[in-house]
Amino acid sequence: MAVSYKPVLWNRQKKKYDQILWMGIALILGCFAIFEFLLHPTITIETLIIRATAFTAIILLHIILMIGPLCRLDKRFLPLLYNRRHLGVSMFLIALVHAAFCIIQFHALGDTNPIASVFLSNPNYQEISQYPFQTLGFFALIILMLMAVSSHDFWLNNLSPKMWKQLHMSVYIAYALLILHIALGTLQYEKDLFYTILLWSGFLTISGLHLVAGWKTRSQLRAEQNALKQEGYFEVALLEEISEKRAKAVFVDGQNIAIFKYDGKVSAVSNICKHQMGPLGEGKIVDGCITCPWHGYQYYPGNGQSPPPFKEKLATYRVKIIKDKIWINPSPFPEGTAVEPAIINHG
Amino acid sequence: MDKQDHFYIGWQETMPAPHRRFLRPFLFGLVLLLPILVFTTVWFQKDFNDHRFELGTLTEVTGTYYESPVPLLLADEGELPNTLSKSILLVGFGKFGAEGIMKDIQETEGSLVGKKVRLSGTLIYGAGHTVMELTQKEASLVQVYEDAALKTPALATNGAYQGKGEILDPKCYFGVMKPGEGKTHKSCAIRCLSGGIPAVFKPDNTGDYYILLDAQGKKLNEQLLPYIGYLVDMNGSVSNYFDWKVMVVDSRALSLNVSRKGERCGGDG
Repeated sequence: MAVSYKPVLWNRQKKKYDQILWMGIALILGCFAIFEFLLHPTITIETLIIRATAFTAIILLHIILMIGPLCRLDKRFLPLLYNRRHLGVSMFLIALVHAAFCIIQFHALGDTNPIASVFLSNPNYQEISQYPFQTLGFFALIILMLMAVSSHDFWLNNLSPKMWKQLHMSVYIAYALLILHIALGTLQYEKDLFYTILLWSGFLTISGLHLVAGWKTRSQLRAEQNALKQEGYFEVALLEEISEKRAKAVFVDGQNIAIFKYDGKVSAVSNICKHQMGPLGEGKIVDGCITCPWHGYQYYPGNGQSPPPFKEKLATYRVKIIKDKIWINPSPFPEGTAVEPAIINHG
Repeated sequence: MDKQDHFYIGWQETMPAPHRRFLRPFLFGLVLLLPILVFTTVWFQKDFNDHRFELGTLTEVTGTYYESPVPLLLADEGELPNTLSKSILLVGFGKFGAEGIMKDIQETEGSLVGKKVRLSGTLIYGAGHTVMELTQKEASLVQVYEDAALKTPALATNGAYQGKGEILDPKCYFGVMKPGEGKTHKSCAIRCLSGGIPAVFKPDNTGDYYILLDAQGKKLNEQLLPYIGYLVDMNGSVSNYFDWKVMVVDSRALSLNVSRKGERCGGDG
């Protein structure tokens, strides 16, 4: 099926996000230039650009990697996730300026092709402290470039959400390469302990946030799993646990399911949004549709189908309500299958 | 359960008030934190030397051209400010030595060795030494004077050196790059020496600089490439080439000179 390209749809929040983002980037670059000229007035413009862009890009990458776990820990961070792709593309462009200046400065106008020189000029691949750190930055930049060019929904649809997500998870490989790039490059020249502490602080912050968010999610899932298991159906929730037009996500018999309560009914669909695998269970019923918290993709709760003209469909599940308890059968119906909602009997 | 059900949707005009109230101090904190982080990062950097590269400014200098052991222009009195050395080491455009350019010039002009010439180029200077990049390549020759050619003075050994230090490319170190030494500059130094810019040895405990030559008085660049970025033990006989010091090193024993592979040059800015 052909996938057509649609330009980025701008809205007020996207514009505001980008305004704040680029004001932040200007703040970092501007401060870097001012402080360099004040504290190290003999710096060259090339060195200033190389260092300022490197610093800005790595700070942005840390912010990008923090957004995911922060949103898991507190949903009020979700506005930062909404336009994270623009943050990523901006970070790549700044990293590209850093790489271009480095290649021109250190490798161009010589007796070897500049790109080949990145790999060949320093052949000490066998020694850690002498390792040609530029190669690590080069490969990280390739990963970031692939992510930047595939960030548009055109590629999301073309590659399929699963493959797209896998590609974009390689940001962690890029991050690891960049940590090594800094440790084996700049830290071999700038030997003040401050830089080692700074690098480790960033790494530990990212790792710690991911561990805490993962632990929270896992413990929630385990608690729910232990409470389930019945013949055919599993008891998964109390009615009062779910707010009107909101959901509870459960993990039952290998199925990740979102149970929605709305208009005196309860329906269950797959918890995974077809767009970017967002957690639908953290979404809300808006205008009669389940609405994904990440990018606002919508589905009817009764049949898992997106409202026309959209064509995304979710798997649906049977639901029963016995007294105040919600029971669910985790055998999924084919995507888009209408299932009678369970009716809440207030009597 | 929240008493008020606030739900964020990116494509809506505004975000819910609790989200806005939560994020505002968070973003404000970032605006305060980032400049502090930038300041400390810049504060702890090594300082740069005061070497200069007059990028974009071409200077014409009259003097006597010498070619051996390395291309050099001995500037006439008054041609350069007194603060600069008159012995101008010549290098090519980009990461190349000056030999190729001077060879092309001499193919049309005849030998210029020992003759008074006027060259145009970009000055690089620092630490008591002067280098000139022949930026305009063959067009760097402005004038050849008719004076009789002078003889190139022979290199007379006047001492020996033994010590440790770093091998540098003088073009970057004396002004083109900040820093022009250490791990981050290693690849560039390898490219410059590979392109024919003479290797210079900088001892780690003196302010001297030595152009490195082999026993035949030729540049040692290729043999030195594996040792760039290391702290190297070096020994050789020393002579003067105008204001420059030259060290003749036994290239066959060069590998033995690297005795401290555990130590790396971090540079001292």
